[in-house]
Amino acid sequence: MTLASFSAASRVTAISRLTALRVPPTVAFAFAVIAIVIAWSLAPGLFTNHSPVVGVTAEKLLSPSAAHWFGTDHLGRDLYTRVVYGTASSVTSALIAVVIAAVAGGLIGLLAGFLGGWVDIVLARLVDVLLAIPNFLLAVIVVTAIGFDTTNAAIATGVSAVAVFARVMRSEVIKTRQAIFVEAAFLMGGSRWHILLRHVLPNASRSVLPLAVLQFGLSILVIASLAFLGYGDPPPASDWGLLISIGKDYLKWPWLVYAPAFVTIATVLSVNRISRWLRKTD
Amino acid sequence: MTNAYLSYAAKRLAQAFVVVLLAYVFTFMVVSILPGDPITNVLRDPQNGFTEDEIRQIIAAQGLDQPIPVQLWTSLSHFVAGDFGRSMRSNRPVATLIAEVLPSTLILASAAFAIALLLAVTIGYGTQFLPKRFGQGLLRGFPSLFLSVPNFVIGLVLIHLFGFQLGLFRVIAPDSFWATFFAAVALGVPVSARIAEVLIANLDKESEQEYASVARGRGLTRMRLFARHLLKPSSLPVITVTALAIGELLGGSLITETVFGRTGIGSLVQRSVSTQDLPVLQAVVSLAAVVFVLVNLIADLVYPLLDPRVKLIGGPRARPTTADDGAVATSVAATS
Repeated sequence: MTLASFSAASRVTAISRLTALRVPPTVAFAFAVIAIVIAWSLAPGLFTNHSPVVGVTAEKLLSPSAAHWFGTDHLGRDLYTRVVYGTASSVTSALIAVVIAAVAGGLIGLLAGFLGGWVDIVLARLVDVLLAIPNFLLAVIVVTAIGFDTTNAAIATGVSAVAVFARVMRSEVIKTRQAIFVEAAFLMGGSRWHILLRHVLPNASRSVLPLAVLQFGLSILVIASLAFLGYGDPPPASDWGLLISIGKDYLKWPWLVYAPAFVTIATVLSVNRISRWLRKTD
Repeated sequence: MTNAYLSYAAKRLAQAFVVVLLAYVFTFMVVSILPGDPITNVLRDPQNGFTEDEIRQIIAAQGLDQPIPVQLWTSLSHFVAGDFGRSMRSNRPVATLIAEVLPSTLILASAAFAIALLLAVTIGYGTQFLPKRFGQGLLRGFPSLFLSVPNFVIGLVLIHLFGFQLGLFRVIAPDSFWATFFAAVALGVPVSARIAEVLIANLDKESEQEYASVARGRGLTRMRLFARHLLKPSSLPVITVTALAIGELLGGSLITETVFGRTGIGSLVQRSVSTQDLPVLQAVVSLAAVVFVLVNLIADLVYPLLDPRVKLIGGPRARPTTADDGAVATSVAATS
């Protein structure tokens, strides 16, 4: 085999991989939305000249205009600025929640599926219990126990989602464990740990990724709900849920609710779209 | 009813009982072991004006000076006997507090549930019969959209549009018909999305079946085709997801009741959270677990009666969506 034919072959696979990965327009749009949200959370100062905390009292409750895209709130603060500055906290807390849920749930599912026997039985009951308590109620209880602030709300949201990850991980691990290549690895003398890390984990985690993305969107909603009920950081923080919560007292100026709600919905919709796409391309 | 079914039922019942007990223990652990000391925080709150002596008395009266396993045992045995203890705030029995607000939440939740089902079936119907390019794509996007909207936003939008703009109801009269109706809509929409997702997937599958083509060929009306040949076989997995969605109704009522200013279990929880009234919280969480487990138990028990293909061996619930012909052949379902 010559070098030329080898490189030609590899180019063909590269092209076919690109076509296989062809991104539908809605997904591209979803990625664009997420990119904006990430940019907002990394460098909010680049996107606005106003202050998120200090308002101009003379300009309170203005409707949306070129100067104030989302209008201004009851203290004359630019709402768009508040949304942009609230992004970091809203996004990071959802990320914390997903990491907690995926790591704890993944570990539970991995142990239950891989070890089987009584470990599986005990862990399955634990998962049943977590599933039996309504998610949101569970998050509320946990955040009550550990105290009201946004990080704790994120932890509580993560705890309430552990069961879902444990379930999926367990069934994936069991599926992979029965695969022929795993059996082959056993026969070739691979240790349990080697097989767990080299074969089972990478295969099982493939279906955990779309779930994690989906859960990221859900976590944004749950954390917003907790913030809405006042279990997150108090104002002047400007988490999306908190902004909507403040807006609800000024329903005569509906953009105070609609603008942050729109940003939340657009973000979660985009995340869900990406998750669906990941599941399909897998 | 055969022996196989009865032993299956007994096994599931025992499992359900264990899960409820464990849920109680779990909540107890969460509130008593996690860092932070809500109880003395409340008692030592200067606003309450308890002296150190009184605090000690209260703690002794509630049995909070006992070691945690002892506390757990006492409260668990009371719970099994149906005694939820007393509220730390008002010193009234928790059971009374819950009984006072339960009817309002039941009305809201059952209305929301009815709306969710109706909405899901309507969406399902539309996805089968609307023109492909125009209405169908839109309808298929609905579940995903519904699941992306925080349910307090749905509530606020409804209040803004129908309460403020159209004047259909007033927020200060939360128990009026229209206020209850819109609260139920707000609560039901996310639940309907979960049901609709599963329903649509199954309707699509059923409509490709040969018997569906035959029914179409016989010239059945759309309504009849939908109800008898598509909806009926699709309803089994829908039962499973519906039972799971019940929990969401309970959790969601917390927010919906706050948004609409209703008094109910949700607002009781919210009040108890802000005053850190742990006995009330513990009772509500345990009750929610009881409801959830019961509903799922019923679904599990109804399942094999509706679909004889469902396997009765082992604990896990069979799902007709994934059950292939092999599973049907090997099923040991009630050999009636």
